[in-house]
Amino acid sequence: MSISVAEALKPFKKPFYIVLVFLLAFILGAWANYNFRSDRTPEQPINFSHRIHASDNGIPCMYCHSYADRTPSAGVPSVAKCMGCHKSIATDTPGIAKLTAYWVEQQPIPWIKVYDVPDFVVFTHKRHIKAGLECQTCHGPVETMERITRVSSLRMPWCVNCHTEREVEHGRDCWTCHK
Amino acid sequence: MSKVNRRDFLKFIGAGGAGSIAGFLYGESTKKTVEYLVPQVVPPEDYSPGIATWYNTVCNQCSAGCGIMVRTREGRAKKIEGNPAHPINEGRLCPRGQAGLNNLYNPDRVRTPLKRTGERGSGEFEAVSWDQALGEVTGILYALKDQQNSERVRLLTGPTTGHLNQLYATFMAAYGSPHYQQYVFDDLAALREASKRVFGDGAIQYFDLENADYVLSFGADYLANWLSPVHYSLAYGNLRQGGPKRGTCVQIEPRMSLSGASADQWFPARPGTEILVALAIANAIVENHYNGSDRAAWRTALRNYRPKDVAAATGLAEIQLIGLAKRMASAENPVAISGGPAITGDNGVATSLAVLALNYLAGSFGRGVTLKNAPEFGTGERPLASFADMLVLRDAMSGGDVDALLISETNPVYTMPQSSRFADALAQTPTIIALSSFIDDTSAMADFILPTDSYLEAWGDDVPEFGTRASIASIQQPVVERLYDTKSSGHIMLELARRIGGELTVALPNANMEEYIRNAWRQSYKDDNNFDQFWRDLLEAGVSGRRVSRDDLNPIPASASAALRREIEASAAVDSTEHAFYLQPYLTTYGDGSAANLPWIQELPDPLTSVVYNSWVELNPQTAEELGIREGDVLALRTEHGSLEAPAFVYPGIRPDVVAMPIGQGHKHYGRYADNRGANPLDLLGTDTDEASGALVWAAVGVEVTKTGRRVRVVKLDGVTRTLGRQILHPPEGSGHGSESGHG
Repeated sequence: MSISVAEALKPFKKPFYIVLVFLLAFILGAWANYNFRSDRTPEQPINFSHRIHASDNGIPCMYCHSYADRTPSAGVPSVAKCMGCHKSIATDTPGIAKLTAYWVEQQPIPWIKVYDVPDFVVFTHKRHIKAGLECQTCHGPVETMERITRVSSLRMPWCVNCHTEREVEHGRDCWTCHK
Repeated sequence: MSKVNRRDFLKFIGAGGAGSIAGFLYGESTKKTVEYLVPQVVPPEDYSPGIATWYNTVCNQCSAGCGIMVRTREGRAKKIEGNPAHPINEGRLCPRGQAGLNNLYNPDRVRTPLKRTGERGSGEFEAVSWDQALGEVTGILYALKDQQNSERVRLLTGPTTGHLNQLYATFMAAYGSPHYQQYVFDDLAALREASKRVFGDGAIQYFDLENADYVLSFGADYLANWLSPVHYSLAYGNLRQGGPKRGTCVQIEPRMSLSGASADQWFPARPGTEILVALAIANAIVENHYNGSDRAAWRTALRNYRPKDVAAATGLAEIQLIGLAKRMASAENPVAISGGPAITGDNGVATSLAVLALNYLAGSFGRGVTLKNAPEFGTGERPLASFADMLVLRDAMSGGDVDALLISETNPVYTMPQSSRFADALAQTPTIIALSSFIDDTSAMADFILPTDSYLEAWGDDVPEFGTRASIASIQQPVVERLYDTKSSGHIMLELARRIGGELTVALPNANMEEYIRNAWRQSYKDDNNFDQFWRDLLEAGVSGRRVSRDDLNPIPASASAALRREIEASAAVDSTEHAFYLQPYLTTYGDGSAANLPWIQELPDPLTSVVYNSWVELNPQTAEELGIREGDVLALRTEHGSLEAPAFVYPGIRPDVVAMPIGQGHKHYGRYADNRGANPLDLLGTDTDEASGALVWAAVGVEVTKTGRRVRVVKLDGVTRTLGRQILHPPEGSGHGSESGHG
């Protein structure tokens, strides 16, 4: 006696298979989108490499993101800060040429935001740095990245898990983040 | 599964293709819109991103002069709160003060100097540079001065105190023109005139509601728009709950205002007869309670106002008048105040005097009613123009006596009735130069509009006239960089002075307003050595001065009572004209209409009717029933001077013979939020004035009411204004009030 899947599926009509194929294709399409067209690693106006800066040259995070331990936002470095070094360093590369063009025009660089929490969440970098977290805990091994990529979901379960594990005082109180 | 034939195969291909595309698009749809992380080009030195900086400055939304704290982040103003250290408002703020941000960020602000291209009043302008605009204005002013025609130039401003007032006066004096005036529609001219006659000084007294236990208000809506609303709201709170004994408030007015709704008793006297009520109460106090040495003289002065003689005319019962007198006389700290409709009729000054007499007889002089100390900051008298003065200006303009009119932050085309034909006179003036943040009904007539800063972008100061006993001054400092290519009014005058040259440069040598204000304060600051420290402290605190106790005040001169009695004897009692319907335009959140372009104010429900966004006509349910009017029926109001249409709102807190309408809507030019919205009740008025003060008569005016037959829906928050037995309001036990009444 042979066991046939076809036998078991016999009562189903063809339209069922069409819907099944549609659903499988839907999942495949969504997966493809998620993996190959993700917004976790957007293309930035300048091909800035954290690897070169943080790893090869050993610049500490807080040198550029200087507000991280003082204010809610870590602060993206001003164009002037970039130019502080790049007036003389690597001036012949295409990326720095772009940077110099922004500086000459006195225009800000429109970086695309990679880590973004919704407006109804009050997040502050200062608190997290003061609590002794490493930047990498949330942002991943940034110093190895050519192009910055998002490694955390930044969704509420992710936040609450960490608050619970670390037994943060009032860490599960609604008003800690939603006020 | 049966065999897959060609047709099925194609179906599977189709389903697979459609599914994968749908899946892919689903993936796309879950993505957030791209947000940017835009750095500064050069890092800021005075703030850190994400950290708020608060600046203390002063509110300019009305003349009260409340201290405000503005929260700024990344160089942008985000929120305005009251300054807790400011003696006027002690940290509180009214809706108009909060809506100051709408003034700063208003999309209708004038962003560059404008020169008229179209017809006068069409509102068509072209943008020009500051250099060109100031150059052309200077050319006109210089030529007039050169031809000895200085006095043919006039300056008309809105409410201005402090050193800007001094600057305007200095400019006009050095230019050689005596014509600098301020026109403030809702200024309490009757109180000033009464004060001048009794105390010899046009400064309005301080009415101490805070420490009173009995307040008798004749039409003064002190919680919403009388002198200093935030200050008096605080005082009201203290009166009610600040001490061991709860104070009592009584309101006498034909239409229930916010203060009327908050009072313990509300008496709707017939419009125009508030003076009789005051004098009858005074009479009863003299007859039954007063025992001063001048009792005989007062009895003679008030002999014609026995409660039983005047009760019928006022609409109040004799027993009520006598009862009010008894309560007033037996209170420890009574205060009587007057304002609103009671003092804007043709007997406004006489009513204010009668209310002062009431204070005197109840022993409130020097206690509930005190004189203020002379200001430490000598910024000069405010040249306030009465409505009669404005008619003189109109005649001068239409008679060809004015060659150039500089007009700043005031809108007489809106606040003067159309019957005054002020706009026509403006049209005949050769040059009109408006210093304004907006194209409003008046500046639309201008040849040049020089755009001014919002008060949150400019330097200045303010010496509040009302609201405290003490003399204080507040500093106004920019809390944000200016958003557009604008200058402050003061800066424009300094710039004009520099360009015209001669005496003007000598009188006004400062390059900008910051320098001017700083120098002016340095002169009034006695201790030169520490001025820099003083200035830093001042900018931090926002205010200089302190509250003083009653004992530190100037005493009320003994001659005041005799002067008051003479005035009472001389004043004619009452306007005897009776009308079928009285029109009562009333002040509300829009002030004199200047707040109508603030969207937050437009969307703020009226505190008593809950109506938003539009004009409405209030009338009593009884009247509405007689005339067959329901809420939303469009009514036509007509007087001999004009007519308008507005929907009816049935309001129980109003006399059956009064129709009331809020002032503030009905602008022709005032930006997208105010244009062509509602109607302006002031256009129904004639140009009658209270002869004693020259103020416009806008209370107790007759009006005809007719139905147009059309209906609209009145936009309001309340579904129904009664509780309908739903037990929403729980009356205190034993109070005996039914649950059927009550608003909201």
